[in-house]
Amino acid sequence: MTNKLLFTNAHLICPEQGLDGNGWLATEGDKITAIGKGDNFSGADKNADLIDCKGDILAPGLVDMRVKSGDPGAEHLETLSSLKEAAAHGGITSFAILPSTEPVIDTAAMIDSLHLRASRIDGPSLYCYGAITKELEDDQMAELGMMAGAGARAFASGSLSVQNAQTMRRIMTYASMLDLPVIHHCEDKSLTEDGDMNEGETSTRLGMLGQPAAAETIILQRDIELAKLTGVHYHAAHISTAGAVAAIRKAKTEGVRITADTAPPYFMLNELAVSSYDAACKLNPPLRTEADRLALLEGLQDGTIDAIASDHVPVNPDMKMQPFTQASTGASGIELLLCMTLRLVRTGTLSLSRAFALISRNPAQILKLEAGTLKPGMPANLVRINPNMSWIIEGRAFKSLSRITPFEGQPAEGKVTGLWIGGAPVARDK
Amino acid sequence: MNSTLAHAPAAQLSGRHLLGIEGLAVPEIQSLLSRSSYFADVITGKTKDDGIADILRGISVVNLFFENSTRTRVSFEVAAKHLGASVLNLSVSGSSVKKGETLIDTAVTLNAMHPDILVVRHRHAGTPLLLSKHVDASVINAGDGRHEHPTQALLDALTIQRKCGQIAGLKIAICGDVANSRVARSNLYLLGALGADVHFVAPSTLLPACIEQFGVPVHTDLEAGIEGADIVMMLRLQTERMQGREIPSQHEYFNLFGLNADKLMRAAPNALVMHPGPMNRGVEIDSVIADDAEKSLIYTQVEMGVAARMACLEGLALKKSEAA
Repeated sequence: MTNKLLFTNAHLICPEQGLDGNGWLATEGDKITAIGKGDNFSGADKNADLIDCKGDILAPGLVDMRVKSGDPGAEHLETLSSLKEAAAHGGITSFAILPSTEPVIDTAAMIDSLHLRASRIDGPSLYCYGAITKELEDDQMAELGMMAGAGARAFASGSLSVQNAQTMRRIMTYASMLDLPVIHHCEDKSLTEDGDMNEGETSTRLGMLGQPAAAETIILQRDIELAKLTGVHYHAAHISTAGAVAAIRKAKTEGVRITADTAPPYFMLNELAVSSYDAACKLNPPLRTEADRLALLEGLQDGTIDAIASDHVPVNPDMKMQPFTQASTGASGIELLLCMTLRLVRTGTLSLSRAFALISRNPAQILKLEAGTLKPGMPANLVRINPNMSWIIEGRAFKSLSRITPFEGQPAEGKVTGLWIGGAPVARDK
Repeated sequence: MNSTLAHAPAAQLSGRHLLGIEGLAVPEIQSLLSRSSYFADVITGKTKDDGIADILRGISVVNLFFENSTRTRVSFEVAAKHLGASVLNLSVSGSSVKKGETLIDTAVTLNAMHPDILVVRHRHAGTPLLLSKHVDASVINAGDGRHEHPTQALLDALTIQRKCGQIAGLKIAICGDVANSRVARSNLYLLGALGADVHFVAPSTLLPACIEQFGVPVHTDLEAGIEGADIVMMLRLQTERMQGREIPSQHEYFNLFGLNADKLMRAAPNALVMHPGPMNRGVEIDSVIADDAEKSLIYTQVEMGVAARMACLEGLALKKSEAA
């Protein structure tokens, strides 16, 4: 037994190095040591344990930049252990949790405590965002500087959208001093109050009040102006509208420091999924129109959208078996990030390389993590995937304690066949 | 007396529940209306049929009302009793549900008592559909939020059909708080399916999103909207369902969108006025019009409500017994 591994006959994917083809990869200890194309690995260490990947994809482990944890505060919905296990099941080696826990992650002590507790559990690396405001209320800035010192990877708002422009400006100004991104959920609350779903023909037919797409773009446009004013790295979270894609595309051409992510429900589904009042499809932001969905796909292709995040929200049947209006928003997603993204590869929307930029390299770069790459010298966080293995999505098979998904019963292709974190294999049952 | 109506058989329904007009086929609607008309003849004494009191003998109907309602609940109760069913009224206020028992708990508990038909009213759209997935009983939607109120549309159609002979070709203007109205939606589907020329009239702030995509002409001027209309159906201003501030004041609303004798002159010469009730007198309708027995069908609507609900209860009970 050595601490050296040699992966051969692998379909290597590394967007950073422009790799998309057959090759081999060597690790020693927790680092990647060498990588090469083809099957000529004669230069590699002869003492390494050989792993024949049999043509499977070998890629940097996924980086999920938007995950809500039930722990602390709602451990019946998700614990740190179940979350880590679920992440590993989904091919994720690093993920960042939102500050919307109970209590809110709005102090350095909270971050220290979560880091410590997470370090006692094997599996993917857990990172924290610091809350932008105290208790995630639309008012007083949280102790951003001390949270940065405790290792916050960015400042985020959960489902809070800061309505007061002056508050937002101060947060951005302060965060730019700390050189950390501000991740924001864009929603003009005065326009979404009482709205249960996207506003349009479907909401009218179903007899529900809607949330107009403008609720997202109004706040996003304001934030873009504030990003120009403050120079902060601004990240728009889970964008859902064509208007947001257009606004971000324009801001990028103007040189604004802006990045954005979206989540699988927004590019796989539209508002019609809500037609039978299926509360599993009640999300925040809501599922939008087909035109919005197509605009998101375009944004994923042309680089307007930088990342795909799972937008995992722990929920249980009690929160969903309600009249649609009363049901909670959100769905389990952490185990579906990979297969939903691979579906875009299958349909020809994305190349494999672009797909892994969206779910691994880019989120790692946004959060400045040593992840998302197969470069020698970097941590050996690796995922092996058989892209042709098909399966049916069933919430009850999730490792997450939260098993409600809008994709229930849908076919999926691509399964994780191995996961290594810091060069060590992560035990995963089938 | 119309002999074909006298022999109208029980309504034939394809589904086990009556959750909305959307999704009903025209023959189903017509069979419900024919049977309703027969029941209307019986309850108004035009036809004698002592046998109706045995039609639902042994059938239990539960009125499960999560939202306050007197007229609809009583109408269902009277309808069920005319047909010999046993009726249980349950009013579940929003607060008692909040005490911990979820809607599904309530449904499952009720289900254990094996009712045949559940008549459900709830302030949130889609609730009757949700309940229907958790109970063995047939579910009738007695109004769910802003979604549908199918028996109201049936009684409205029945009222019009009996008064005007037929619905096809009539211009029917539905006026007022369309955004918050389940009656407007159900009537659009039903009257539209039967060939009426349905128009909506509302202030722009009380129109639901993308309503133009429903293929209904929309007017923001009451007089233009009711021009030449055979039927002017006024909607209740749903202050309880409104978000507030959609209109400047009730005073302005009555001025611009309230129906009075002057404005009614723009409609067809023998135009008839309807309202699902309860009315806000002096807000959407002037009392002079509401109480004009020549023009107003408002009390006929209440009468027809019982007949329409009888046909629905019978149709569902029949469907359920076929399935058993």
